[in-house]
Amino acid sequence: MTDRYKKLKSRIADHEIVILDGGIGSEMLRRGVTWEGHKVESEPDAIRSIHTDYIRAGADVVSTNTFQLACRSYMNHFADREHMRRIGASDLETRAPGLIREGVKRALEAREQTGKSDVCIAGAMTTLDWCFRPDMAPSTEDMRAEYCETIQAFKDGGADLMLFETFNSTKEARTALEAARDLRMPAWVGFVCDWKGRLLNGETMPEVAQGLAGMEPDVLLFNCAPVPDITLALRELSRHYHQPTGGYAHVGRFDPPDWMFTDEYPPDQYLAAGRGWTELGAQVIGGCCGTTPMHIEALKRGLPKVLPA
Amino acid sequence: MSYSNVKKSLNEGSLILLDGGIGTEVLRRGVYWRCHGIERNPEAVRQVHVDYMNAGADVIKTNTFQLNRRAYLSLFHGLEHMRRIGPAGLEDKAGKLVRQAVTLAREARQQAGKGSDGVAIAGVISPLEHSFRPDLSPPAAQCRADHAEIVEQMKSAGADFILFESMNTISEARAACEAARASVLPVWVSFVVREGARLLNGESIADAAKAVEPLGVDVVAVNCAPIADITAALTELRKHRSGPVGAYAHIGRYDPPSWKFGFYPRFSGTDQIPPAHYLEAAREWKRRGAQVIGGCCGTTPEHIRALRDGL
Repeated sequence: MTDRYKKLKSRIADHEIVILDGGIGSEMLRRGVTWEGHKVESEPDAIRSIHTDYIRAGADVVSTNTFQLACRSYMNHFADREHMRRIGASDLETRAPGLIREGVKRALEAREQTGKSDVCIAGAMTTLDWCFRPDMAPSTEDMRAEYCETIQAFKDGGADLMLFETFNSTKEARTALEAARDLRMPAWVGFVCDWKGRLLNGETMPEVAQGLAGMEPDVLLFNCAPVPDITLALRELSRHYHQPTGGYAHVGRFDPPDWMFTDEYPPDQYLAAGRGWTELGAQVIGGCCGTTPMHIEALKRGLPKVLPA
Repeated sequence: MSYSNVKKSLNEGSLILLDGGIGTEVLRRGVYWRCHGIERNPEAVRQVHVDYMNAGADVIKTNTFQLNRRAYLSLFHGLEHMRRIGPAGLEDKAGKLVRQAVTLAREARQQAGKGSDGVAIAGVISPLEHSFRPDLSPPAAQCRADHAEIVEQMKSAGADFILFESMNTISEARAACEAARASVLPVWVSFVVREGARLLNGESIADAAKAVEPLGVDVVAVNCAPIADITAALTELRKHRSGPVGAYAHIGRYDPPSWKFGFYPRFSGTDQIPPAHYLEAAREWKRRGAQVIGGCCGTTPEHIRALRDGL
């Protein structure tokens, strides 16, 4: 565990509010950078400047631009490994870990550039298969090896913690958390929730609390759902779970392969939502797709410094 | 109707030249790959069609690869989730794009001066899920219903016939062809293949040919594999089908992005197979009995021109 993460952890233990950054992929689109290849290598300045803007806006934790980067992400485009080798580009088997290391580097450079050495770099990793499709999750045995391999790339790159985000089942979260524990990487988990206070696979909050028992992440968050759905999930969870929690909602509409920006939650209104989450006990507050450095700045300015009593 | 010319050529045993890659060519021209470029860059899509016709294609394919309802729905947890976090109109977007794409092909045909008795427009319909993932293919009844809907969109927009392309299972190909029969549009079906004259799920091309034989398709082809694999599959196909057969290979290497938004048509290293080299392969296919020849991903109007001049 890095010293700066130890510091962050003790702030959380002291009930301080911690600010997470906002959307990365959607922010690339807003700045006219397409997101097909993550661009961590081909457009390093664009990615780095998103991180520096979030740090300057007040984020205590910035997440890497590595969503959906795992070996499987490439494999999924082919019938099987043999087919990939036959017709695919030659570096596909090793491209994901390479891009992960580059992605972490961009965040490290941003930290260096802003001189905010306390900022923690969270290695952002989503489910191995599509985050909105719990039915497609691989078997636990397959997952285990893939998590170890992917987390190792984040660790090698120099991330302070893992942020498993947009997870859709406690089963996959547990597998990821076990792998992180074995590799001695601290980990947070963000679950995508539905509009009825459940995970996408239908698990209820008592089931989430039970499913994670003994393997709780340092912070359990909800993300990648509209503001009211995050609020509902946090309220439900608060009745059954008593460890640090957090939330980061998306703003706008998922219009694949784009993000549709809407003005439903401009920064001030998003801040009001964030304040509501702290009243439900959430300590780590940030933004998901569609949120911008302005949203994070509003959170930094307007959220209480410690959890309301 | 343009298809009558095609049908005549098929009956006479003369060669029919297909166009080349559409998605890869749209992308190669720097178009931002959103909605296949149809909404933001219609003129670029039209120009690709025009260039293929000027290169000598008898048949042009619509820019509709993988445009189906399910392609969007699969990115969500289900319809309710899509409605909750997706934009309004996403349910009908694929159908809308299909119709626009057919219109672009028709406008291009007019622009190229290849009027109604000239070039035929093939309405391209691909598997409902990713063409390289036969394991994701839905049950046959679902396939029939979804393909029937797309066929209807193609027909109402004015496609001359249906080309089921890059089909990856016998079951879905059969369901698709059955669905198209009600439309009375002529149908071609092409299978994506791998080494050993097999479909991606291991089914043999021989079984695939036999399965579609009673369904009245005018052409059975193989596509979207490297040249050598296409040659092997074509040879096997010829043995098991008496009617017209066709072949079109991809060139270069499929280079998908990590983020999973359907088929992003990026192929790298396509310069390894220049037009003259591709022509050599096409000559071999012709010798082996292919009557319909064209290009798949990575091929360009220059490749088609080489075929026109050299075959």
